[in-house]
Amino acid sequence: MSDAGTAREVEDEAEFSALVREHQSMVYGIALHFLHDPASAEEVAQDVFLQLYRHRDGLEGPGHVTAWLRRVACNRSIDYARSRRSQASVSLEEIGEPAGASAPDDPLLREKLRKLILSLPDKARMVMILRYQEDLDPEEIARELEMPVRTVKSHLQRSLALLREKFGRALGEKQG
Amino acid sequence: MSRLEDELRNALRREEPPAGFEARLRARLAAEPRRTNWLARWFRLPAMHHTLAARLAFTAALGMLVVVGVRYEHERQERIQGEAAKAKLMQALRVTGTELQTVHEKVRELSADDENRQ
Repeated sequence: MSDAGTAREVEDEAEFSALVREHQSMVYGIALHFLHDPASAEEVAQDVFLQLYRHRDGLEGPGHVTAWLRRVACNRSIDYARSRRSQASVSLEEIGEPAGASAPDDPLLREKLRKLILSLPDKARMVMILRYQEDLDPEEIARELEMPVRTVKSHLQRSLALLREKFGRALGEKQG
Repeated sequence: MSRLEDELRNALRREEPPAGFEARLRARLAAEPRRTNWLARWFRLPAMHHTLAARLAFTAALGMLVVVGVRYEHERQERIQGEAAKAKLMQALRVTGTELQTVHEKVRELSADDENRQ
């Protein structure tokens, strides 16, 4: 290979490393919150970046890369969960209600919230992750997950109502 | 914003993967067969890297070259086939001419024999 080709290759590798470092918390976070299993989340996140490596020539601009990675991370996580459906399933009954009012940033409450989110159906769970991890509005979530905006809003309302019902007292919020 | 939403943002914040994530990713990449996407490489020639117009012009010129080459090859094949057919026809005519000559001579011999007998 020519010197120019080698230099380009090195530049490519450096660019790819920078992309991994910039986006790994987003990709891993989506997979972790969706699957609630660090090993599975890492596997999914690595698959997403491998896919990026293979298709990086077709992506242009940082905004495009972020949106592409987010979409692939969502789809991969959903596919992964479906392929291992029998393994990790948490029912609402397994998640106990917090005993009383909790302090802000309580690790126990945080873990219970994560588990309750895990008990939501796939699409509703991903809607919650995109809303509260990625801070996307319902229109953006609808585009990412290719579903109507009203469905996104409905998922959000139902999931929040469920969480309020379960944790309202611990959070000092009115229920109902 | 409600306390619940604050807690949700806190519970669902982005998470860094475990240490060594990139190294493990690199190991998986190294185990993959080397990518040989010549088309992608073509578009990334350093001299043509900057403008889309230059890349498109370069691709169009390359496409024209391919079309002209294919057409030239097609015409060459047709010419070769035509010449082969012509050679076959000439050969057939030569064979037919020789056979007609032989028949003609036989007829003449038979006619001469008949005349001698009379």
